Amino acid sequence: MERPLSPFMFPTWYRFQITSALSILHRLTGIALAVGSILLVWWLITVAAGGELFTTTHAFLISPIGLVLLFGWSVAFFYHLCNGIRHLAWDAGYGFEIRSAARSGYAVLAATVLLTAITWLYVFLI
Amino acid sequence: MTKASSLSDGTALRDELVPRRVRQFGSARDGLREWRLQRLTAIALIPLSLYFSASILSLATSDRKTAADWLSSPIPALLVILVVLAGITHALIGVRSVILDYVHTRARLLAGELLFRAVAVILAGAGVLAVLKLFLGR
Repeated sequence: MERPLSPFMFPTWYRFQITSALSILHRLTGIALAVGSILLVWWLITVAAGGELFTTTHAFLISPIGLVLLFGWSVAFFYHLCNGIRHLAWDAGYGFEIRSAARSGYAVLAATVLLTAITWLYVFLI
Repeated sequence: MTKASSLSDGTALRDELVPRRVRQFGSARDGLREWRLQRLTAIALIPLSLYFSASILSLATSDRKTAADWLSSPIPALLVILVVLAGITHALIGVRSVILDYVHTRARLLAGELLFRAVAVILAGAGVLAVLKLFLGR
């Protein structure tokens, strides 16, 4: 079966639309968060274990690479959270009109930026 | 042509053309249960993950004592266990639906299914155990 698969149809055959772009982003951030949850559980284990294991993990997390990963995780998290709420509204039957679906999409993007900014301001100021 | 055979022809036609059950893979067999579980965990994760992420981002960069003290008090311990269980359940259903879309071989699908389920169960167990150790050992 050699059927074209949908993500590869995207740049070549489909016109850019905010709705489809955000739908793909929902999946991508979902997978990123699933991978990130491994790191998260690892961190819990190192806190419980303590000693050398925690020191090494801690040094990695506060290194530039670690902070970039944490920042990326937070962006993915807030995006998936906001867009997930959008999906729940659709499940309940609200916001299906093209115009409101596009509008809620831009609202999700704005909320993601805002929530990420607030969280990191909070982390660094407190 | 006897009456019996014509009747059996009629039912045979119907039996063969109307699928009674899903022959290919797909979530149609137990899809509703998963669909519902994914939404329920999503709703639970809205408050849980907001609380957790705000705490974790400030704690991930703090020292061990602060993190261990936080995890050994009852409410954070409970909420972290809940967020681990709900989050991993939600993630497993999501990852499964992605592999269902892109893996088209029964053997690979089964292998992926077993792998992701095993990873999810181990992660959930390890996460809960880590919190319990800190909570019970204080």
